[in-house]
Amino acid sequence: MEAVLTRKRVLKVCALLLAVLLVLGVVAVSVGAVPIPLGRVLRALVGSTTALSVQDELIVFSIRLPRILLAMLVGAALGVAGAGYQALLRNPLADPYVLGVSGGAALGAIISLALAERVTVATPVAAFLGAALTIAVVYFLGQRGEQLSPYTLLLAGIITASFLSAVITFLMNFLSGRDLRGMAFWLMGDMSNPPPLDLLFWLFLLILGAILAVFMLANNLNLLLAGEPEALQLGVNVRRTKLIVYLAASLATGVAVSVSGAIGYVGLLVPHLVRLLFGSDYRLLVPASALVGAVVLLVADTLARTVIAPTELPVGAVTAVVGAPLFIYLLRRPRFAAAAGSKE
Amino acid sequence: MRMVAQRWAGKWWAVALLLAAMLAARETHAQSLRLVVDETGRRVGVRAQVERIVSLAPNVTEILYALGVDSRLVGVSNYCDYPPAAKTKPQVGEIINPSLEKIVALKPDLVLATTAGNRRETVIALERLGVAVYGIAPGDIEGVFRSIQNISELLGVPEAGAKLEADLRAQFAAVAARVEGRARARVLFVLWLEPLMSVGRYTFIHDVLQRAGAESVTAERAEDWPRLSLEEVIRRNPDYLVLAHSPALEQQLADLRQRPAWQGLRALEKDHVIVLDETVLRPGPRIVEAVERLARALHPEAFEEQ
Repeated sequence: MEAVLTRKRVLKVCALLLAVLLVLGVVAVSVGAVPIPLGRVLRALVGSTTALSVQDELIVFSIRLPRILLAMLVGAALGVAGAGYQALLRNPLADPYVLGVSGGAALGAIISLALAERVTVATPVAAFLGAALTIAVVYFLGQRGEQLSPYTLLLAGIITASFLSAVITFLMNFLSGRDLRGMAFWLMGDMSNPPPLDLLFWLFLLILGAILAVFMLANNLNLLLAGEPEALQLGVNVRRTKLIVYLAASLATGVAVSVSGAIGYVGLLVPHLVRLLFGSDYRLLVPASALVGAVVLLVADTLARTVIAPTELPVGAVTAVVGAPLFIYLLRRPRFAAAAGSKE
Repeated sequence: MRMVAQRWAGKWWAVALLLAAMLAARETHAQSLRLVVDETGRRVGVRAQVERIVSLAPNVTEILYALGVDSRLVGVSNYCDYPPAAKTKPQVGEIINPSLEKIVALKPDLVLATTAGNRRETVIALERLGVAVYGIAPGDIEGVFRSIQNISELLGVPEAGAKLEADLRAQFAAVAARVEGRARARVLFVLWLEPLMSVGRYTFIHDVLQRAGAESVTAERAEDWPRLSLEEVIRRNPDYLVLAHSPALEQQLADLRQRPAWQGLRALEKDHVIVLDETVLRPGPRIVEAVERLARALHPEAFEEQ
């Protein structure tokens, strides 16, 4: 059914997805609350300094472009994190949100807002620390003896996520109205205030590192999916593979959540979409999940900022509205169980 | 400018001189940024001549209209509905999440925001885009006066600000004279019904209640918008419930009257439910109207004889 995976096919699919991403990116730069003709945007993008007025230039390069890049980065991070968790747990429902990593990040952000009323740089930093701490706790709880048990880990994640959301609800009662407003928006995913480009570059490096780490272990993940004993027999260092994938996926999630808030369904759905489109070999699944994740979140965020412009929707609402029905559709497909990476 | 240029066309040196003068003028204009500290403690560079203003909240918009500078107002939030003319201004989106690009496209010299509605993130994002944002933080009615003063000075119309303040102070004084010496009515201000939320003592609404001759039963709460349990409400047993109007309010109140726990409340037994319009939620010039309306409802006898 699936073609034999060759390096050529991986490159071909990735090139195709990259082209789609670029085209959509250019389209996204030219749409928004303020209409700016595509032709002018294109000329400005290739270096023309006269194509746009001062304001339009500010809009294109300082508002839209950082936001579009952020959407792509976060989408790629969540897509790969989801793919990583799903292989790790051999569980189609695994996802950064289910595992509580996003909740940890959100809690970190709330604590920073409650303590340091005025320091704003602290918020993403605290969110990342919260995510990192949650990863450690969930990983510790999920361990059974020497083994990292998929089911215990998943349960530990679910329990941690629900505990964290209770703590968040508790803490939100102590925040003043102003912080609460920001927080509520943040919890639903918000990319309307992207970080400056130099910070985006560092985020890009971190996320790229995480993606590469998972990609390097793609073969091991393929073997792991066939079953742990089999992988062990074939010489896979199962424990190390799991640890690295878990840390890399969680790093990607932590970084993503710390700058964009909690955006659901991307990590859950993107790997499934990729499996349906291109098969479940992780050597293709990992890069394709990154690219499809970038495409999906770019489209979702562009919708979020244009459908009822100048009013902006939280992007998490868009991904949930589109994602939930799509997820149900995927669940009901007969191939789902096999494609999702559960035991075949 | 073109006419001037044509007149001097024969004398190129004069044109050159004029250009030099214009350049010099532009230079000084660029330098003529005033560094001010806004009400939230941020430092803002504001042009000496503010010609294009974007307001991000209804109370700010109302202050601008009251100061008579609405011709310079080039953009407002979706909620800026008063005076009605404000609804014809270009809109930049929600208070909580306005469209940054829409704001930038309006080329504002100054964006006015308020802590009573706008988000810090919005202000920071605009700052990063090189847009001057002045934030007001009216914590009580004196704070509204301060904001009026600050805005009027920022926009170069201090006389209009002083006059507006004097007018408003006179209106407040008139209400104060009416309610002075009367027993304060014990009031629960219901900010939100489900879940039940009220106002703490550091809010401008608390000040409104005070000035209208009321005593807030939640005065000891230090949070701005404290959640309240029904038990507390029953124990405090306020004489009046005061609410701001909202579309679903009538239905919600009717529901409340059906509930046994609420039925026993003195305020509901006597049907002492006062519904104010949205002005009570806006720390702007019309806050005095909210005070007067509430005072009239609480102390009708004080307003009988002229």
